[in-house]
Amino acid sequence: MAESQSELDVLVQRVVKDITNAFKRNPNIDEIGVIPCPEGRYNRSPIVVVENKLGVESWCVKFLLPYVHHKVLLYRQRKNWLDKEALVDITSTLLLLNPDVTTAWNVRKELIQSGVLKAEKDLYLGKLALTKFPKSPETWIHRRWVLQQILRRLSAVDCDGKQQQGEAERAAVERSQQFSYHFAQLLHKELNVCSDAACSYPSNYNAWSHRIWVLQHMAKGNVKVFHDELSTTRQWVSMHVSDHSGFHYRQFLLQELIEEFSLTPAPSKNCSPLHQSMPRTCFLPSISVLANGEQSGIQTIDEDERELDLAKLFELFHQEMELCSDLIRSFPGHETLWSHRRHVFYLWHQWRWEHQLYFNCNGSTVLCNIGDTDQLKQGGQGSGDCGAGSMEVDGISLPDSRDSKRLKRGFRLSNPPSLSSECTFLSTILDRQCNPEQRHFGLAYKKWLESVIGKEL
Amino acid sequence: MGSLNYIQGETGTQVKDVFISPDAPHTLLLDKHADYIAAYGSKKDDYEYTLSEYLRMSGIYWGLTVMDLMSQLPRMNRQEIVDFITACQHECGGVGASIGHDPHLLYTLSAVQILCLYDSVDALDVDKIVEYVKGLQQADGSFAGDKWGEIDTRFSFCAVATLSLLGKMDAIDVDKAVEFVLSCMNFDGGFGCRPGSESHAGQIYCCTGFLSLTGQLHQLNADLLGWWLCERQLPSGGLNGRPEKLPDVCYSWWVLASLRIIGKIHWIDKDKLRSFILACQDEETGGFADRPGDMVDPFHTLFGIAGLSLLGDEKIKAVNPVLCMPEDVLQKLGLKPELLS
Ligand SMILES: [Zn+2]
Repeated sequence: MAESQSELDVLVQRVVKDITNAFKRNPNIDEIGVIPCPEGRYNRSPIVVVENKLGVESWCVKFLLPYVHHKVLLYRQRKNWLDKEALVDITSTLLLLNPDVTTAWNVRKELIQSGVLKAEKDLYLGKLALTKFPKSPETWIHRRWVLQQILRRLSAVDCDGKQQQGEAERAAVERSQQFSYHFAQLLHKELNVCSDAACSYPSNYNAWSHRIWVLQHMAKGNVKVFHDELSTTRQWVSMHVSDHSGFHYRQFLLQELIEEFSLTPAPSKNCSPLHQSMPRTCFLPSISVLANGEQSGIQTIDEDERELDLAKLFELFHQEMELCSDLIRSFPGHETLWSHRRHVFYLWHQWRWEHQLYFNCNGSTVLCNIGDTDQLKQGGQGSGDCGAGSMEVDGISLPDSRDSKRLKRGFRLSNPPSLSSECTFLSTILDRQCNPEQRHFGLAYKKWLESVIGKEL
Repeated sequence: MGSLNYIQGETGTQVKDVFISPDAPHTLLLDKHADYIAAYGSKKDDYEYTLSEYLRMSGIYWGLTVMDLMSQLPRMNRQEIVDFITACQHECGGVGASIGHDPHLLYTLSAVQILCLYDSVDALDVDKIVEYVKGLQQADGSFAGDKWGEIDTRFSFCAVATLSLLGKMDAIDVDKAVEFVLSCMNFDGGFGCRPGSESHAGQIYCCTGFLSLTGQLHQLNADLLGWWLCERQLPSGGLNGRPEKLPDVCYSWWVLASLRIIGKIHWIDKDKLRSFILACQDEETGGFADRPGDMVDPFHTLFGIAGLSLLGDEKIKAVNPVLCMPEDVLQKLGLKPELLS
């Protein structure tokens, strides 16, 4: 081990160099870690690469971290000059050991802005840091900044292309295809980074909220991506039934898909029934048709599509509730699953609440005022006690849920959730010899249905 | 407050609750805690010290606030701390976590909070701070944490908390700021870090605190939010921050303070929570850990003591649930954040 300060300097500089060289020699390093090892051995580097895993022997971390930390801060205070290359190496060593040093990420942001460092390098560095520190808030924050830089650059190239004419046009089309390809790659890789971090730490808030950010910024309006995400995370949540963040992500996907089906405009918090204001005023001809059972609304050429959308929407809710029921039965006593159930039911309830006025208005384009819902409230009187079985309990004027439902054009509708179906489900759960936690959560759900949903009808 | 960058950095496992052993501490060991904090700053092991330097300013805020709540503030070196803070302010007005660290709203708030404890806000260039905070507000009303643009409801709280302590709330567009925070409200009455994000006790604390400081608590659905917050209490008495996470002293504070702000503190079992917090003390070293038996740190020590204060412990000064500072300090400033009853 190093004794004097100058010996220490030499040692640490060598280790930083070893790390840099390890990355140069092994561009596929995909994980970092500390190897427990109380003492160093003479003439052997504390940096070890095995099967694309980079390990740092623990004895040297104690010297290495304060050293690189100090270097970066001296540079930041303009007390010590470092050339660009050294700065890249030193900050990357520091961030692999302690990725929450905001200032070190900021130094790298400046290097990226000045063109010294490629933005993609930092997606890689961050990904590595997350293999050891899957929650590191600063690493996720830096990723979002880097992604924005890359997106800006990609879209600038794309826009350039679109303004070209003639000969240049073909090249522009090519570039545009390249853009789509790069973009899809970038999105795919980023979602994988989120998945890895979600697997290495349960209910990883930062990983899942980053994933939401990614979809909001890189897949807005891309229904296919949302559907794919819904199916890929299905398996994942089934194997992580305590992971509330994973389930929340599905709630987010469902909500986005509802909006994308163009059955409802973007949700505004002030419009939700829980926030007591007027329902929004969108005009939806296809639903008017449905409500009437005959054509009294305004026909549009998109009607088939809209009916298909509605069928898909019912199917989504149906499937999610089925998944939730299966998991609750298979894994009793998980608060996460019951919380998910509340949210899915609530989403459905909210969607219906927003559209009941249109059902009610028989397709007339006249907007109903809030008073018209009184009728529905009366229909829903029995909703507090979980017994009544008809659809009116829910205040919906769709055909009875137990008939096989067909839209005008012949699309089958899946059973949507209803208060009565929820009560049936609850009775099968609570009647059984269920464990105390399951009973506790089941009763809490019942109470929630009665006091939060029931109150609004 | 600076502890906010800790909100998303908590550990936990698949276990749902903790068992409190009968011989866990059940009386408040005030003297031990004061000794623990007083000694904490003096041992500066190089490695440990650098590991946490990126949040030093918040660390000092935790230590000093808990000392003040225990009426032990005079034991700390006032001049050294004030000089340090002055040295951490940047040209742009923002304050960094330590010397040489970049400015950020998190540490700007911590610095202002510390100086309020010491009644020395003038150690910083106040006009510049106000300009800094103002400059971070975005068109949609949200706040970036620093010039690099990350958006989070925590930063909305930092902005209004800083400005209210400085009496300069009118520097920003409060209506827009409120609009943004409300856009992060979820169906369960809670809040996440951005629109569409999962409800989280730490973010909820920031958002209810924000609405309190802006006088907009009526915009909350207090019943629904209170429901969610109460469901954080586990059989051990401790509170967690999200479903199926472990109970934790710091989350106990975020949840308890939020409940206090919306006037629903009586909805949880206070005695059981008190026992849980007391069980998180270390009888030998002093200080509180996140859970019984874990390592203590100043962060959980502050939130343990602050939690006990909210629960009515008379040996501790009254704490303000919104700013997590002693009430007497806020009284001197003439600050009385809105609370629902
Ligand atoms: Zn904690």
